[in-house]
Amino acid sequence: MIPLPFYLGLAALLFSIGLYGVMTHKSGIRMIMCIELMLNSANLNLVAFSSYTDTLNGQVFAIFSIALAAAEAAVGFAIFMAIYRMHDKINLDELNILRW
Amino acid sequence: MVKTALEEFAFLIPVLPALAFVITFFFGRKMPAGGAIFPILAIAASFVISFAITLGLLANPEEVISQSYPWFAGLNVGILIDPLAAVMLSMVSFVSLLIHIYSISYMSHDPGKPRYFAETALFTAAMLSLVLSDNILQFFVSWELVGLCSFLLIGFWYEKPSAAAAAKKAFLTTRVGDVMFLAGIIILTSDLLKLAGGFQDGTYLLRFDEIFSFIPQLSALQANIFGFEISHLTIITLLFFGGAIGKSGQFPLHVWLPDAMEGPTTVSALIHAATMVTAGVYLVARTFPMFIAAPDSLMVVAYLGGFTALFAGTMGIVMNDLKRVLAYSTISQLGYMMLGLGLGSAIGLEAVGISIFHLINHAFFKALLFLCAGSVIHAVGTQDMRELGGVGKLMPITAATMTIAALALAGFGIPGTSIGTSGFISKDPIIEAAYIFGEHSSNWIPYLFSIAAAFLTSAYIFRLIFMTFTGKPRSDYHGHESPAIMTIPLAILALFTLVFGGLTRTGFMAFLEETFTNSFMNLNIGNLAGTGKNELIGTAGQEPLLILWLPVIVALAGLAIAFLIYYLRVVKLGPLASMKNPIYRLLYKRYYQHEIYTEFFSLRIVYGVIAFFTQVIDVIVDSIVEAFGIITVGVSEELRKVQTGVVQNYATAVIAGVSLLIILVKLTMEVI
Repeated sequence: MIPLPFYLGLAALLFSIGLYGVMTHKSGIRMIMCIELMLNSANLNLVAFSSYTDTLNGQVFAIFSIALAAAEAAVGFAIFMAIYRMHDKINLDELNILRW
Repeated sequence: MVKTALEEFAFLIPVLPALAFVITFFFGRKMPAGGAIFPILAIAASFVISFAITLGLLANPEEVISQSYPWFAGLNVGILIDPLAAVMLSMVSFVSLLIHIYSISYMSHDPGKPRYFAETALFTAAMLSLVLSDNILQFFVSWELVGLCSFLLIGFWYEKPSAAAAAKKAFLTTRVGDVMFLAGIIILTSDLLKLAGGFQDGTYLLRFDEIFSFIPQLSALQANIFGFEISHLTIITLLFFGGAIGKSGQFPLHVWLPDAMEGPTTVSALIHAATMVTAGVYLVARTFPMFIAAPDSLMVVAYLGGFTALFAGTMGIVMNDLKRVLAYSTISQLGYMMLGLGLGSAIGLEAVGISIFHLINHAFFKALLFLCAGSVIHAVGTQDMRELGGVGKLMPITAATMTIAALALAGFGIPGTSIGTSGFISKDPIIEAAYIFGEHSSNWIPYLFSIAAAFLTSAYIFRLIFMTFTGKPRSDYHGHESPAIMTIPLAILALFTLVFGGLTRTGFMAFLEETFTNSFMNLNIGNLAGTGKNELIGTAGQEPLLILWLPVIVALAGLAIAFLIYYLRVVKLGPLASMKNPIYRLLYKRYYQHEIYTEFFSLRIVYGVIAFFTQVIDVIVDSIVEAFGIITVGVSEELRKVQTGVVQNYATAVIAGVSLLIILVKLTMEVI
């Protein structure tokens, strides 16, 4: 059995990679992927704690969270599709019309 | 005090006309005759109640109606109907009733009828509430309401610039007096609070009887103004008199009154006879015990009154406008009333009697004069006497009634008897009292003023009569006698003008003196006069025969001069009455009051100072405000660059914020 700190360490690593991606990448698609990474690192934490305490609560949360992530991704991609149709690109730092 | 059934209805006296105001104002347009019916019924009811109360008081002057209800702190609202208030209530409601009836016809062609009747009803209600208020604060509230109504009614034809200006002038000029009155009330209140040791339960601080009971202590309080030791009582009474000057059109705040005839003539009748201008005289009469106990105050009242009587008379004699002559005669007669009150320093309470007696009689004949003038203007369509002439043939009833009123104004009668017009019977005692005052203090100026004014009064009013009603028409006009609804009020007023004075002469003044000596007020005027260092002397009646006859003789002289110049036209005025004569020009230009008051004082000095300060304030305040604006704009110009529009930057900011939060929470946990 793999001890809990390894799971938490992996989750923290995944979260940091996702965070780094959100802050640096310009493409909208990549950003959504990075957000998924961060979400799933949280899910990993939930499942790890669930397994550690021998209860099912955490896994139920994780299932809800995955469903939520799927819905979020669908909305996000729909928005990017719409943006792409208007501008022929989804380069986020060029889509800065809501600014000073 | 016996609680009578009438007392239960006393509160209705001002309330009914006020209700009529509300109904007429909102629903008058749908009523017949422009809604005149409600004010007339309400004022008629007020008159019936007032008159019944007056009769009750006549039978037993001790049965003063006094009702007080707490308002806030030690102040109250209430009703006080003693002889003084009762005669005023009866007169105000009666004259106002006649004027309202007359107005049905006079205003019949005016589209603003509902507004007119609503405002006159409110005017009457305010005046009635002023008369029966039992404390000085309620008095002041009604006083202001009267001022407001006069503003509305003088500016009734507000689309005429001159009417709007006249209304503004009346409002602003009386405001000067009102501020003084208010200052007097404030000083009085703070003094009373000091003397009574704060608000006490069960006593109403500003009720008249309460104020009068503090007169000796008030008189003892001294203030130091420019090195003069002045009694607080003198300051308070002079400030009250300042209010009376404004309201009653005394010099130097009389300028609004001649302009006030810009409103409908019936409004002038209401202002000049029943409501408004009599309020000032009533104020001084109401607080007479304070005046007599204050050294020097009554002297000021007497001098200013006498001077106003003469001053206004000199202007009345050159005016060519029918109503303007009457306006100056009102100022002059109000001067007589003030003079009568001022003579109280010599004749004591009798002063209130003769002055209010003249006020009542004046109300009758002045209302009559104005309504007659209105009748002429209504029929002929001009009020310039130079264009009139020969109206007497067209309008015999108007001419006859106006002549009766003129005789009363000039004061014709037989001295020593009760035969004479009411104007004579009440004006004569004032002039006699002025003589007694002169003999007593060897101060003849008030007497000379009053005699000279009597001569001028007779001269200008008969000039008006002869120029308007006799001779040949001087312009092309067509007219006819007014309808019965106008002439009947004229006839009633003419009857009162002829007989009221003679009939009531003996009882009236004694009745009024009961106001202050009955068991309700219970004042010893002799002692109060002593407080004010005024010596009282015996009553009139022992003057030389010439003195008794002199007012009538000068009135006859005035009549004769007017007759020679304006009826027979044997004396040609020629250059005397032209702009080349400096005296005529001075009078015709009304002592350049317009130039001095309006153009020099108001526009140049007051407006100039205000404009200067406005500019200074503008510069200072504006630069402060503008500096704030510039700073805000500059800072935000830089700060807005934070909003880059790049999503990643926002995400970074969020993450940085959250991280900071976590660190902070962690640190706080450690510390705790």
